[in-house]
Amino acid sequence: MSNRTLTFSVFRYNPATPEIKPCMQSYQLKEAGGMTMFVALTKIREEQDPSLMFDFVCRASICGSCAMLINGKPRLACKTLTRDYGTKITLMPLPVFKLIGDLSVDTGTWFRRLSVKTRAWVHTKKEFDPTVLEERMDNATALEIYEPERCIECGCCIAGCATANIREDFLGAAGLNRVARFMVDPRDERSEQEYFEIVGSDEGVFGCYGLMACEDNCPTKLPLQYQLAFVRRKMAVAGLKR
Amino acid sequence: MLDTGISPQRSMGRNPRIDLYLDLAQLISGFLLVGFLWTHMVFVATIIIGADTFNSLAQFLDDYYLSYVGIPFIGLVALIHVIVVVRRIPNRYQDYWRHARTIMHFDTWTWIFQVVTALGIAILASIHVFAVIMGWPIDADTSAARMHAFWWFYLVLLILGEYHAGFGIYRQFVKWGWIKRKTIGFALKSITVIIVALGLAALWVFVQLGGALR
Ligand code: SF4
Ligand code: SF4
Ligand code: FES
Repeated sequence: MSNRTLTFSVFRYNPATPEIKPCMQSYQLKEAGGMTMFVALTKIREEQDPSLMFDFVCRASICGSCAMLINGKPRLACKTLTRDYGTKITLMPLPVFKLIGDLSVDTGTWFRRLSVKTRAWVHTKKEFDPTVLEERMDNATALEIYEPERCIECGCCIAGCATANIREDFLGAAGLNRVARFMVDPRDERSEQEYFEIVGSDEGVFGCYGLMACEDNCPTKLPLQYQLAFVRRKMAVAGLKR
Repeated sequence: MLDTGISPQRSMGRNPRIDLYLDLAQLISGFLLVGFLWTHMVFVATIIIGADTFNSLAQFLDDYYLSYVGIPFIGLVALIHVIVVVRRIPNRYQDYWRHARTIMHFDTWTWIFQVVTALGIAILASIHVFAVIMGWPIDADTSAARMHAFWWFYLVLLILGEYHAGFGIYRQFVKWGWIKRKTIGFALKSITVIIVALGLAALWVFVQLGGALR
């Protein structure tokens, strides 16, 4: 069991009190066995500073709410162990997203916009008939749909992405991954050209620099390089065809 | 209000496929330049076999006008490459810089060096082409004399060129997903090491030759 004392340097700013300038505040904490960043933050809030803001829901890397920059890298606080770090740990909120306060950011609005922009639902002209069995799909296709669906919308890939940090309208890996999911879905009747309108530009797949910070930072280890390249190839073919 | 996607200004004002064409232009011009660079290094490396081999190759390229077609063509391709990649440099490059410093991600850094090396190559390669044309035709003695005097110049250009080409091509393979990231990284590193070694060997032979000719 460790007996280290950790020093957390935490970003503090509350947009509701703009007269207090953003700053980094230090907290000292005794490390406990198997401690995660989330546990550390909760302890700090309970014992030292009740005003500290950060997000969490599931504590089991499922909901994606607790993402933050841990020593500069986008990570889930509930999954990251303090023992993998030195005694000095810096915590910052994710960039790109709107700051709610301290470490808490609003990823919801961003992802909502993404869903609307990519029209992230199955587009079909078929009437839904609740009395008949669902159409079957082969296992390989089903797996190709469920793999990208594992995205927990934590925003790590967006925060780590240079393009998303520079241009606001970039869909990012999470967005392109979502589109890829509908592209392989046989129930979605959208044509290649319709997809091209959504992602066939610098806002979409051609804005990507291929730096793969998204894939390297994705906590659910989605195959983002594969997904981005899949969309890119499909869109290149669609764009050249017409 | 939520942004519902396709803005009328965007879909009407410009060709909707322009971003695709620019991306492809970057890809194709880049590949042509890498192909040229590697051929060039292999040609130059014939000096390792001997000055005669080198001279007859230069003579051959000259006789069949390959040099006269090749040089302007590559110049044009390079120009296209510059024009289409400049758009990639963010208007607010400070943002990129700050981002790279924060997240400390390896590939994100390599991209900054990509811009820096590009600038270096643009300047040094222009000087090099100018020098070669001024001393036309190419032959082992003039090249050797030049290398002997300016070996540091060529050393820098060689390293910049290889770095830029190696990572540029790596990123294209990654983006188009023709190959898994780890494999392609390894393959390109090996090719780059071979080409740099070849270049260094040629440089060394030239410098020796240049010294002997004095
Ligand atoms: S793709 Fe990965 S990093 Fe991006 S939001 Fe989904 S789970 Fe998070
Ligand atoms: S590969 Fe593309 S989407 Fe992923 S981080 Fe880089 S620019 Fe962003
Ligand atoms: S709290 Fe749900 S992912 Fe960390």
